[in-house]
This record gives sequence, C-alpha cells and structure tokens, in this order.
Amino acid sequence: MILFTSGGLLALLALSIPVGVVLFLLAFGLDAFFSPFPLMRGLGQIVWSSSNSATLIAIPFFVLLGQILVRSGVAQKTYSALEAWFSWLPGGLIHANIATATLFSATSGSSVATAATVASVATPQADRLGYDPKLFSGAIAAGGTLGIMIPPSINLIVYGFLTETSIPQLFLAGLIPGLLLAVLFMIVTAVICALKPSLGGPGVSATWQRRITGLADLIPLLGLFGTIVGTIYAGWATPTEAAAVGVAMAFAIAATQKAITRQMLIESLKGTVKTTAMIMLVVIGAYVLNFVLTAAGVSRALQDFLQGLGWSPLAMLLVIVLIYIVLGFFIETLSLMVATIPIVVPIVVGLGYDPLWFGILMILLVEMALITPPVGLNLYVVQGVRKSGPFTDVMIGAIPYAITMLVMAGLLILFPAIALYLPTHL
Amino acid sequence: EELSVVGSWSGLPLHKQFEKPFWDEKMPAASDGGITANLTTHDQMGINGGDVFRMLGQGVFDVGMTVADYAVSDAPALEGLDVPLIATDADSALAMVEAARPLIDDIFMDVFNAKVLGVAPYPPQVVFCNAEIAALEDLKGKKIRASGRMTGKLLEALGAEAVSISFGEVTGALQKGVVDCAVTGAGSGYSAGWWEVSTHLMPIPLGGWDPVVTAMNLDRWNSLSAADQALIQEAVEAELKAPAWEMAQNALETDIACLTGNGDCPGEKRGMTLVEASEADFDTARELLVSEVLPDWASRSGGDWGQRWNDTVGEVTGVQIPLN
Amino acid sequence: MKALLSFLQRANERLAVAAGLLLLVSVTVTLFDIVTRPFGLSLGGTDELSGYAMAIATSWGVSYALTSLAHVRIDLVRTRCSSRLQALFDMVAILSLAGVATIIAYRGWPVLSKTIETNATANTTLETPLWIPQSLWFAGWVWFALSALVLAVCVVVFVASGKSEEVQDVAGMRGEV
Ligand code: NA
Ligand code: NA
Repeated sequence: MILFTSGGLLALLALSIPVGVVLFLLAFGLDAFFSPFPLMRGLGQIVWSSSNSATLIAIPFFVLLGQILVRSGVAQKTYSALEAWFSWLPGGLIHANIATATLFSATSGSSVATAATVASVATPQADRLGYDPKLFSGAIAAGGTLGIMIPPSINLIVYGFLTETSIPQLFLAGLIPGLLLAVLFMIVTAVICALKPSLGGPGVSATWQRRITGLADLIPLLGLFGTIVGTIYAGWATPTEAAAVGVAMAFAIAATQKAITRQMLIESLKGTVKTTAMIMLVVIGAYVLNFVLTAAGVSRALQDFLQGLGWSPLAMLLVIVLIYIVLGFFIETLSLMVATIPIVVPIVVGLGYDPLWFGILMILLVEMALITPPVGLNLYVVQGVRKSGPFTDVMIGAIPYAITMLVMAGLLILFPAIALYLPTHL
Repeated sequence: EELSVVGSWSGLPLHKQFEKPFWDEKMPAASDGGITANLTTHDQMGINGGDVFRMLGQGVFDVGMTVADYAVSDAPALEGLDVPLIATDADSALAMVEAARPLIDDIFMDVFNAKVLGVAPYPPQVVFCNAEIAALEDLKGKKIRASGRMTGKLLEALGAEAVSISFGEVTGALQKGVVDCAVTGAGSGYSAGWWEVSTHLMPIPLGGWDPVVTAMNLDRWNSLSAADQALIQEAVEAELKAPAWEMAQNALETDIACLTGNGDCPGEKRGMTLVEASEADFDTARELLVSEVLPDWASRSGGDWGQRWNDTVGEVTGVQIPLN
Repeated sequence: MKALLSFLQRANERLAVAAGLLLLVSVTVTLFDIVTRPFGLSLGGTDELSGYAMAIATSWGVSYALTSLAHVRIDLVRTRCSSRLQALFDMVAILSLAGVATIIAYRGWPVLSKTIETNATANTTLETPLWIPQSLWFAGWVWFALSALVLAVCVVVFVASGKSEEVQDVAGMRGEV
C-alpha cells in the first residue's frame, strides 16, 4: 500500500501528467484497490466543500495584488532606493537584489512572482555595470524564494488549510526565519565577495542625500506590508480581509504611477484566474488524496511502520528532511508541499513536533527546491528574464544560497524558537 | 460483518471515551466478534461535518456519527431537535431528544436514506466572555462566536451579533477583542485554554446540547439479519448512548468547577467569574424563542413540522410554538 | 479542428475574465464589510459568499489554465525525449486529465441533485439556497470536462497523423513564469 502510493506518485509525475491530475489518479487507484469504502461516491461533495472556502479565497486576492503591483512600475523605484543603501557592501548591487527581494516578499505571496519582479529590474543593471552574472542572478533566484517565507504567503495558506493550522500564527512564525535568512544571504554574499572580489562587481556608494530622498520610494511597499501584516497580527482582519485591503492599496499605488488601463486590468484578472486555478486543482487533488489515505488506512499503516523502526524522533525528522531535499531537486514547490502534506504532517505531529514549526521548516525546504536543479522554478524564472548566457550561470550562482538554506534548516531544528517565538509571545 | 464507521470529532471526549471503545471493543464483544468496525472520524478524513450524512446516504461508508446541527442544510427540521436554552440539564435534554426521536427517525429515513441507531449528547454549549456580563441581556450588542443556525437566530433576537470563526482562531479573537464572547462545550473551552483569554463564564446551554446522531446507511441496515439488527440496536442503546448521557451532567459540573476554581476539579483550577443565569433570563429567552425564533423555524421547515414539534418536544418541555 | 481549438481558447479567455471579475466583486464585498464593521452595519455572510465565489471561480478557471498550458507538470523525463516521444507524453497527460475532469463532473452531479431534491439552504443565518452557487460551480466542471475531451480528441488525431508540433501547441508545456 505504501509502495503503491509512493511508487505511483513518482511514476505518474515522471510521465509528466499534471500534478493535480496525478493526485486524483492516485486517490482513485487507492480507492479501487485498498479501500473498504466506495470513496469515489463522495468525490463531488469533497470537491465542492474543499473549494467552497473563504480561507482559500485569500490566494486569488494575493495573486491579484501581485499582478497589479508588477504592472505598476513600483519595482524600479524600490530597487534604486535600496541600491543606495546597500551596494557599498562587498558584492555591491547583489545586496540590493536581496534587499529588494526581501521587501517584495513582504507584499507578495509567491516566490516565483517575487523572483520575476526583482529579475526584471535588476538584470539590466548587471550588464551595464559588468557584474559577474553567476552570483548576481543566483542571488535573485534565492532572494525570490523568501516570497513564501515572509508573510503573506500562499504556500502557508495552503499548509494551514490542509493541516488545520492557524494561518495568522503561521504568518507570524515565518517572519523571523524569513528576515534571518535574508540577513544570512547578505552575510554569505559579503564574505564570498570579500574573499574573491571578481565574483561581485563594483561597490557603489551613494550620498546620504540620495539615500534619504530614496526612502520615500519605499513607502508604498512598506505601507502595503505594514497594512497586510499589521492588521492580521492586531486581529483586526483575517488573512482574506487583509488581502482584499492589499488589493485596494495595490490599485492605489498603480493609480499614482498612472499604470491602470483597461488592458492592464484584463491581463491582471486573467493572470490571477490562471494561477489560482492551477493552484486549486493541486489543492483539491491533495484534499481528495488525504481523504482516501485516511479512509483506506494508509496514513495509519505508514505511522505504524515508522514506529516499528524504533528510531528517535530526531532521526526520523532528519530522514524526512533528507527526503525533501532529494525530492526537491525534481519536484516544484507547491506540488512538493501539497503531495506530501497528507502523508508527512500526521507522522511529524505524531513524533511530537509542533505543526506550526514544521510548516516553517517545510517552507524552508521547498524554498530550497526552488533553486536546486534540474527542476528549480526560480532558476528558470531568472534565466527567462536574463534571456542571454548559459542556464548553468544561474544554477551555480544559487549554490551558496542553497547551502545557506541548509544551515538555516539546521538552526531551525536546533532552535525552534526562531519560528515559535513570535506566535507564542504575541 | 465489518462496518466502516465515521465518528465525530476525534479530539473530543465523546469520541475518545465512548465511540472509540464502543466500535473497537464493545460491539465486537457483544456480537462475539461477529460485528467489527473500521473506525475513523470525519475530521481525520478531512471531510466537512455537513457532508457526513450526505455521504452516508450515498453509501460512502456504513455508519456515520456527527452533530445533527451540521446537517440542517438538507433538513431544516432537524434544528428543532436542539433548541437552545429550553433544556437546562442533561435529564431534560435527554427528554427533549427522546421526544424528538420519531421526527429524527423520519428525517433520516427520507433525507439521508439512513436508519438512526441512537442520539448522544456533546456537553452543553456554554458562554465564555471576555467582557463583564451579569445576565443574558448583557449579551446585547456583543459580538459572539457561535455555531448553528438556531443559536445564530436567537443571538440576533437578543440583539447580539453572531460571528462564525473556526475553533482554533477563537483564543486569538477573544484576546484581541474581535469577539466578546464565544460558545462551546465547557470542557473544550477548558482544554483549549479559553479561560486564559476570557473572564466570565455563563454555564447556560446557549448553543444547545449539540446532540450527535449515530446512523447507518439504510441499504446496509436492510442487508443485515434481524438478529444482527437487534444486537446493534441494543448495544448502541446500552453501551454508547446511555453512558454518554450519564456522563454529560457530571462532566459539566466538573468542568465548571475547574474553570471557576470552586468545587471538585481533578485538574488545575482556574479563576473565571461564574455568572448564574436567573429565572428572568430564561423567561426572556423563552419569550424570544416562542415569539420569533421557533415560528421562524417552523416556517423554514415547512410541512407540519411545527405541529409535530408542538405535539412531541413541545409537550415535554412545555413550550408551544404559536402556529397559524 | 483549428477553428474549434481557437474558439475554445477564446471562450476560455472570456470566461477567465468573468471569473476574475467575480473575484473582484468578492474583494469589493470584503472591503465593504471591513469599512462598515466599526459602524455595526456589517452584512454578515461575507465569508459565505466569498466561499461560493472561490468555488465558482475555481471551477470555471481550470479550463482557462488548461488551454493556456498552466497546469503544472514535471518535465524531468519528457525534456530528454525526441519531439515525437514528447507528443506521446502530452497525449497521455491530456487523456488522463480529460478522464479525471470527466469523473469530477460526473461525481459533481449528485451534489447538485441532492441539493435540489432537499431544497438545501446554507447552514447559516443567510440561508442561501445552495442550488444557486452549486449549479454555477457544477457547470464550470462540466465545461472543464468538455474542454479537456475536445483537446484530447484533437491531440489523439494530431498524434495519429504525426503532427508533433500541433500537439506541442495545444497540449505541450510552456516555459512557465
Ligand atoms: Na511573502
Ligand atoms: Na529543485
């Protein structure tokens, strides 16, 4: 049964069948061969109930917010303002890449969107100033991954939905690890470039006057972040309501840049529906699979099997982390999360770990999957924007950051408080 | 015979203390191993409480157990089984449910293609407030987390606002003042730490008793031998239903003692302020029920449900819905 | 067949805009709820309506995601194959998708038919008659199944006549952003 599930999952995915469809097929197969219940009679009811959700509608709201923001032209100004503050460090503009990605992460729910936005404003600079393309583009790919760790985060909404963990609490838990990771990225960049200056580029110092006046350009994004996250933490708004406010603010920002047109609106809506539907097919598939796994007793069989091994919880956790790293080479973020949550989370919780904490650890691991080849969505996004130079540049450039993420995973396991401090103290 | 059984909330005492031992041990023992069960719960399967009886009717599983109130979408008449505030102790709640039993049987037969085996209570759904209250009328203008349509309507009639948020978000919402009060079982509120974020406890069943119906798919039921049917029926009656009702009243007293720090509590005592409802409070509630909430329910249910209720539940509880 | 495929593409684009507008309405209702809350004017039931909007936007959006090749697929083995073999991969993918879509639509019907039979209303104070959101939701999945079946038939015909490039166009993979 366990073999059928995991083998079937990998085989169907390798056939390049859409991930959402794979989850349904697996559920049908398990139902037909292993279930004492004729589960599929209830399929329609599950599809209706899982998509009829005021929690999940936060996803299209956050996607729409991002679509509008990208088309508003605010990214360019943000980048120049942050460049003035950070590019004196060894590594120069690379720090501006990371800082811009961090700030965009704080308003965007998606890593891919964050990477795409930063890449579009940063890559022209690299060519102009003659940066070594590897570390430069690797930093964008890695910085972009912060989009799903620093709240808001679509992936955390999905995790919270599927595991019945509080989404505001998850958002709180992601904040410190996200910022810490951004700082670690900068430290690693500075160390590498101090040791080997040719990997970076010319440091650019800016006058204090430019720095101060540039701060005004950060107001839109900081205001957006403050509103979204602030209202959720204060308990004034649910994540869905905060996302709706965010959409309104994004419209306002786009309006001040005179970027709102009929065409822009239509493109934003189409983009939103496309991304949402893609995510939802996978989420509903996971929901159906979870139903079958539980009903057919697979989850219990797996837990019994693992308990039978008699390993310590930590050893078990490390094996799970290892599995994520390996799967992460081949499977894209959301699919990796959603396909494994129904199987892994009950086990981890059974081992005595906090589901809130594990959510953050899982996000970190799928962030890593975004920048590990051969399937690393953010690598492709950055390469897609670059349009020149070999793909391996981005791949190699991302390696130091992937290692940093591993270090971060170790820190998170050793000091769970990094994630749990805010949720328990606020 | 192996039955696939979907139980009520896996984390609550009703499941852990009664449903699980019943299906795992007592039922097989009573039938000398002839009837066994494959037990899971709706929350573990990730299905909506409201879908349990629909799926039962479709034959997705053989036995379903869940709060009747979750199924009122398909059968508004079911709301009449659990009218808030008219049964103040377990005995009268049992009497109310027993009186309603013929109605419940009919509804489950017609709407869900199912045979009712028994009805067991959750503990009464009482009120936790993070605001000073002294009587029922103080709920006026408050934002209150409650579930169930009839409770919502009663709150509206009281001049309060019914807010629906999931159980897990309630502590945060009480703490931050997103809601002023919340309704749940005293024991659930105790173990979820609601005493940390609220000050006043009003132990009246504002949310009713949330009776849990145990029902079997009718086709499956008819496929069983008469002997097996009788065996199951007896076992549910004696080993599941009776002990669950017996427990209900004691559990409430213990939980109140624990939450307020007055009386016998096996666990740690907390210091919530106990707000006793007065006779006047119950009169107010009854008045609102009779004048607004129940007539509204009767017209929502249609048919002769109002009359049938008056003749059964109304007879036992002394409440009569004015019908025209 | 070309005409049919391009009709499908355009129809799905229109539907996507409509679904997007539904989401925008939902944003507006949510905002209205937040703004009026301090004055005690809150509508109540915003969550419920948002849920319906989500279910409907999802069921109508999946077809657009399909015709714009947005449903995520793992490309690991497929990229290493010749374009003729890739067309076979695409055919397997669209056939399984069409199969699953048909099953979802088929299993969706009992939900709506039970609702109509019992005249079900939402378990809320709003008492929304559930047949309204559920028929819109169900129609979306039926449309998805139809779209997928049309695509599947076209792809099978293309594969049979050796037109790998056409397969790539209607059921291939896009370097996704
Ligand atoms: Na984010
Ligand atoms: Na990867």
